[in-house]
Amino acid sequence: MPISGVVISCSPGHRYTVIKNLNAYKSVEIHGADHRGNIVTVLETDSSEEMEKLIERLNNHDHILNIGMTYLNIEDEAERMARGETTTKPFGFKAPSV
Amino acid sequence: MAQTRREFIKKAAALSAASYAGLDLSIDRGSVANANENISWHRGSCRLCGVGCRVELGVKNGNPVGLRGVPEARTNFGYLCMKGMHFWKCMGHPDRLVKPLYRKKKTDTFKEISWDEALNIAADEFAKAHKEGGGEAVAYYGSGQALTEETYFFQKIMRGGLQSNNVEGNPRLCMASAVGGYLTSFGADEPIGGYSDIEKAHCFFIIGSNTAEAHPVLFRRIMRRKLDNPDTVKVINVDPRLSQTSRIADKHLQFKPGTDLALLNAMANVIIEEKLYDEDFLNKYTTFKSGKETVDFEAYKAQVAEYTPEKVVTICGNSFSADDVRETARWFANSKGTVSLWTMGLNQRKQGVWANNLVHNLHILTGQLLKDGADSLSLTGQPNACGGVREGGGLCHILPGHRPVANEKMRTQVEKAWGVPQGRIPPKPGLHTMAMFSAINDARIKAIWINCTSPVQSLPNCNLYNKGMAREDVFIITTDIFHTLTTQTANLVLPTCFHFEKTGVYGCTERRSQLTKKAIEPPGDAKPEVWIIREWARKLSEKLNDPVIAQCIKPFEGLEEGYELPKAIWNEYSQKLTAHRDNDLRGATYEVLEQMKDGVQWPAPTEEYALTGGTVKKFVKGRDPMADTESKDDLPYQFYGPAHPDRKLWIWLRDQADPEEIPDSEYPFYLSTGRIIDHWHTMSMTGRVPELLRANPYAHVEINPKDAQKLGIKPGDMVELTSRRGVNIMPAKVYEGPVEGMVFAYWHDQHKDRMINKVTKDAIDPGSKEPEFKICAVRVKRVSGPQPLKPYLVG
Repeated sequence: MPISGVVISCSPGHRYTVIKNLNAYKSVEIHGADHRGNIVTVLETDSSEEMEKLIERLNNHDHILNIGMTYLNIEDEAERMARGETTTKPFGFKAPSV
Repeated sequence: MAQTRREFIKKAAALSAASYAGLDLSIDRGSVANANENISWHRGSCRLCGVGCRVELGVKNGNPVGLRGVPEARTNFGYLCMKGMHFWKCMGHPDRLVKPLYRKKKTDTFKEISWDEALNIAADEFAKAHKEGGGEAVAYYGSGQALTEETYFFQKIMRGGLQSNNVEGNPRLCMASAVGGYLTSFGADEPIGGYSDIEKAHCFFIIGSNTAEAHPVLFRRIMRRKLDNPDTVKVINVDPRLSQTSRIADKHLQFKPGTDLALLNAMANVIIEEKLYDEDFLNKYTTFKSGKETVDFEAYKAQVAEYTPEKVVTICGNSFSADDVRETARWFANSKGTVSLWTMGLNQRKQGVWANNLVHNLHILTGQLLKDGADSLSLTGQPNACGGVREGGGLCHILPGHRPVANEKMRTQVEKAWGVPQGRIPPKPGLHTMAMFSAINDARIKAIWINCTSPVQSLPNCNLYNKGMAREDVFIITTDIFHTLTTQTANLVLPTCFHFEKTGVYGCTERRSQLTKKAIEPPGDAKPEVWIIREWARKLSEKLNDPVIAQCIKPFEGLEEGYELPKAIWNEYSQKLTAHRDNDLRGATYEVLEQMKDGVQWPAPTEEYALTGGTVKKFVKGRDPMADTESKDDLPYQFYGPAHPDRKLWIWLRDQADPEEIPDSEYPFYLSTGRIIDHWHTMSMTGRVPELLRANPYAHVEINPKDAQKLGIKPGDMVELTSRRGVNIMPAKVYEGPVEGMVFAYWHDQHKDRMINKVTKDAIDPGSKEPEFKICAVRVKRVSGPQPLKPYLVG
């Protein structure tokens, strides 16, 4: 279950609108905001795929200008991958032809 | 994961993000220590794009488990983008190449072989080709993703060992016009300033670059500067396509593809007409050039006077007004500091060097250079196009240290440094990329080594060149971490280490060299390229009975490949080949680079100086040690670059010139191509990260809604794009992005129906030899409604 520290940036005038919107996401924890339009958040999702989808959704928000990630922990997923239990094979995956 | 540990990690994540925003959270900082339990953090650079973001890879039990930014790094100040955050997934990926693979005929199935067998075959085939046709029958085609040590070592064996200047790399496809622009305008390759100008700039002139998607971390810095100073900082976006970058722009000028040369000249015209230029700067530091002639300011003034704003608005397609041109020119000239940024929109053009020159002209004309907050900054797309290929001798006409190969004195310096006989390096430049693959088409090149790149997909008009790569009489070796469309044309596929599985230096956009040390073991039998080169060259020396090849690897014999070998190669390169050159890296030893959180900007002649971070502004006395040691007069700026004997900046008289192909009744649309945020280049890495693949599983074509309406195309419809060279069929995205009359397609897709380089044109800039990927003419036709599509990755 990946956890990331993310600074979400918007134009300062839209800060409250964006925070209100972010509050609707259960995967987003808001830890603070400043007058420059920086919103400090922690994102926690079930998988990297969900993390990517969440960030994509946020990126498409009218007033969000940038998603700046500063920290990512994926140790659960990495351990599953290392044990060969990964579910992260992409579409069309094929083993190298030998 | 235990609840407590999750909580620790969440607190560490919150503290990390808060520290960047300058917020003080009431969280116990002991959480960070608990979150880091059993994790070791290893500093290095991001593997993707040319920004050079510094990261730390978290490793637990030998596996990557986390990534975080380095807050002190002057490239990214700790921020990373989503694409960068995923590169760890290439490590240990089940698709990784882990054994050497060989097939005698390209129609055969690959079989696994040992390294000893593989290296013998590689040496046999290169020796055979060399015996048949000498240095002209062999070639190396490398990458702006290879480490500097790798590019330098490969070209050393090719030039010093095999007497071949057929040394090229994919930066020819992306950066060559920027090189040409810098050399012809400033007399020296690479920018004068760098990223630190962003926080001091008052005007951003972004042309031919979707910075928000292609360089998101730098875009963040530009955005922050604009948002923090909304009234005093202007952002101008000049591009035929509206993009995410346009969202922060005060003004967006959309123009008909290929007409920006006229626009740039019109801006110069306004600057001169309204006397906004810096006369003192021009008098002291500028020469005016028209072809081979030296002219004067009056001649330049007369030339740009032809480009009145009113006339240029018509040339550009009437999407903006003459007053927009005037206001843009005023913002550019009058700001306290203007930074221009561009990427492939200018470079991948038949007039790529000219387009670069015309941006530089504006900076020289207005004196928007050499001071904090002002620069003409070409952004690079690959992590080591600058450091490895441009500086390390990775192109057919240049030796390491920005030395032209055609210059005898330069060749002699290199031969002495290598201890090979004088005259060993051939004087004639080798074949540039498009000529190299043409020579493969007719089998003049018999053996080629393709390292860490996929020309089958990335060359323009690729159908034409793929015929050559399929020939049975051309032996192809590839070194890579995954299969690509190019490994499918190879005889021998060699598995290599990925980033953090080996040690080496990347040099990013702003002349900054940064070290990444090995942190984890590679999978299977994958090996670092420097080991592969050394072992291959030793066998080559035996098979050709040539002791000079052995001499090329002699300093590196017996060294452990994970650290000692790349360090010895870097030492040879930096100490012997960059000494007293404009990219002097003698101070940037491994010992210094290991200490520096964000590397060193050259010139950095001594370790003491390198430990300060190096040179932020080139050519400025007191800020650039070479400006002091190379000083010839009392002026504060010293242009000591190797290409301008008069030590001046050159303003070029360049007229508007059409692209090679413009729309006509048969092919009525412009086609342009580019990247999307989730994918990088040919998708061989990002396509294997499921999150990135699912976000954009296949390419699509963007069509302006007005054009879509005329053609009866709805969102998701399948659309056929036909040029004089090839056909693609892909889904449509109806979008207010491209200007009317132009369509835009992404180039990452490997599927044969959606590989857009079958359609693009292989016309090249006559100076830089860079192809005109960005502009060609196509026919656009709806073929059906939406169809279910499957993503495709070669396996």
